[in-house]
Amino acid sequence: MKSPIIQCQQLNHVYSDKPALCNVNFELDAGDPIGLVGPNGAGKTTLLSILSGFLRPTSGTVRLFGHPPGTAQLNGKVSALPQDARLDPSFTLTEQLFFYARLQGMTGQQATLEASRVLEEFALKDAAHEKPPVLSHGMAKRAAIAQALIGNPSLVLLDEPTAGLDPVNVRTVRAVIAEQSSTTTFIISSHDLTELDRLCRQILLLENGSLQTEKIRTDEQQTASRFITLQMEACPALEVIAKLKVLYGVLQVTNPQKNEFIVEYNPDLQPNMDQQLMQTIHTNHWQYRQLSHGKSLEEKLFFRDGNGTKN
Amino acid sequence: MVITIYPKLQFTYTRFFSGQSCYKTSLNREAKIMQPGFFNHLLLISLFELKRAFATRKGMLSLITFAVVWYFILLYPLRFAAELLVQEKGLKQDFGFLDFIGFGSIQHWSIPEFGVFWHFALIIFPMLSITLAADQTSSDRERGTLRFIVMRSSRDRVFFGRFAGVMVIQALLIGATAFSTFAMALYRDATLLSSALPNLLVLIVNLILVVLPFTAMMAALSAQVKSARQATVWAILIWTFMTGIISGFAYYLPALAFLKLLIPGYQLSELTQLSGWQTLQLAYIPVLQGLILLAFGRWIMARQAL
Repeated sequence: MKSPIIQCQQLNHVYSDKPALCNVNFELDAGDPIGLVGPNGAGKTTLLSILSGFLRPTSGTVRLFGHPPGTAQLNGKVSALPQDARLDPSFTLTEQLFFYARLQGMTGQQATLEASRVLEEFALKDAAHEKPPVLSHGMAKRAAIAQALIGNPSLVLLDEPTAGLDPVNVRTVRAVIAEQSSTTTFIISSHDLTELDRLCRQILLLENGSLQTEKIRTDEQQTASRFITLQMEACPALEVIAKLKVLYGVLQVTNPQKNEFIVEYNPDLQPNMDQQLMQTIHTNHWQYRQLSHGKSLEEKLFFRDGNGTKN
Repeated sequence: MVITIYPKLQFTYTRFFSGQSCYKTSLNREAKIMQPGFFNHLLLISLFELKRAFATRKGMLSLITFAVVWYFILLYPLRFAAELLVQEKGLKQDFGFLDFIGFGSIQHWSIPEFGVFWHFALIIFPMLSITLAADQTSSDRERGTLRFIVMRSSRDRVFFGRFAGVMVIQALLIGATAFSTFAMALYRDATLLSSALPNLLVLIVNLILVVLPFTAMMAALSAQVKSARQATVWAILIWTFMTGIISGFAYYLPALAFLKLLIPGYQLSELTQLSGWQTLQLAYIPVLQGLILLAFGRWIMARQAL
C-alpha cells in the first residue's frame, strides 16, 4: 500500500498567544506539484517551516516519509527553499553548493558535478564563482532554489519561489519544476495563483491558520455545469455579456474583471461550447486574447459565487 | 485533507506562442550515495569553519590582525620579560616583586619565555575565545543560511561541528603562538630543545583546555542571540554577574563555594601559580564546565526556531 509522504495530525502553532496554525490535518501522496495558498498571515510559511524542521509545532504530529522533520533520516530526501533565507556571503556559490552536496553524502567528484548541474539548470554557471553579495535579487533567489534541487530530493518545499523574479526567470523556475516533477514532489507556497494554476493539480488553502476544505468541495460537486474563461481585448462588456447569454446551453455569464468573462454552461446541452464561443467572437469581429476551460484558480478559491465578490 | 482542482485546460486557444523549454538535466538518482554519519558531518562542518577562518577575506583579515598583535607581544613584553628573568636568575636576586604582582610562579618554569607566555596566554586566549567563538550559529541563523545546512544535517551535528571547528582554529592559534615562543627560546639558547619540548606540549594542551569552557559558553550564547556582538556582550555581562553573585554567596555561605566551579575560567588564578605538568591538576574543571555548557547549548539549539 502506498504510504503518504506527509502526514500532519492536529497541528497547532502559536506565536506568543497568537495562533498561526489551528488543528491542521492532512496527508499528501507523492505526485504532481501541490500548491499552498492563502492570504498574508494565513500560516503558509509557518506550515512550511514546521515541515522543514525549522520550527517545532506547539502541538500535533508531523511525519515526512514516516520520520519527524529535521531528522538525519530525511537528509537528501527532503529539501526546501525557505522564505528570505540567504546564502553565506563569505563563500562562492560553487563552494556552498559543493558543501551542501557533501553533507548529502556525495563524494567530492559527485558534489562538484552536482553543484555545476544545478547552477546550469538555473542559468547561473557564469556566477558560479561569485559570492552572494554581488548577485542580483533574481540570481540570489535562483541560487537558493538551485540548492534545494541538489541530489534530486523526493520532496521539495518551496516558499514563494518566484517572488521578485522577472518573467524570464519565472519561466526558468517553472520549467525546472515541471521537468523534475516526474521524480520529485513539489509543495509550492505562492501568491501567484496563475503560476500555481499552471503547475499544480492539488491545492491546500490556508485561511487564518486553518485548512479550508468545505467551500472548495462544494464547488467540486457542481458537476452539472462547466465553465469557460474568456479573456478579450478591449470590448463592449455589456454587449458581449448580452450576446453570450443567449447562446444555446449558456447558464450564466459573469464579468469578474475588465475584459474577462466566465461562461457557465450545461455540457449536456452544448458539449462544444468553446467552438460556439469562437464562432460568436468571429461573427462580432471581437478580438480575444485567450479562451480556456474551467475557472482560474483565483476564481475557484476566492470568488466562488461567480459575481466577482469574495465569499 | 487535499483539495483537488478538477481537470482544466484540456485545450487552450492562445495568441501567444508558448515556446518549449530547453532545459536538460542529468539526473543521477541512480548514483550510489551513502548517508554520512554523525562524525562525518562533524568533520565536514568543522572543515568548512576552518576554511572560513583561513581561506576567506574576513578570516584572513582577523588572522593577520591577530598575527600582528602577537608579533608585538612576542617582540617586546614577552622577550624583554624573559631576558630580564634570565638576567635576574643569573644574579640570583629574589623574586619578591614578581610574587607581589602575582607572577611569582614564572620563576618555577625552567624556560623563562614559557613562564611569561603562560601568564600572557591565560589572559589573551580566553578573551580571544569570547570574540572568535561568538558567531558560531547566530548570524547564520539570522540570515537563514543555517536552514540550508540543517536540511542536510541535524541541529546537533551543526552545533557540535561548529564548536569543533572553532576549537580547532583556536588550537592552531595556540599552537602557532606557543611555537613562536619556543622558537624564541631556542634562538636564545639552542640547548634548551630537549627540555622545552615537553613544556611546549603542556602549554598547548593546557591552553586548549582553558578555552574549552569559554568556547562552549559562546556556542550556547550564539545559539540563543541574534549576532556575534550580542553574544560577546552577553558573555561579558553573564560572566561578570555570575562571578559577583557566586563569590558573594560563597563569602557569606562558604558551603556554596563549590558553585565557583560553574564560572568559566575559575581555575585561571590558581593556574598562574602552577608550572609544568602540575598545571594539568586542574584540567577537570574546564572539562566539566565545557560539558555542562555544551549540554546547555545543545538544549537551546534544539528548541530554537531557525
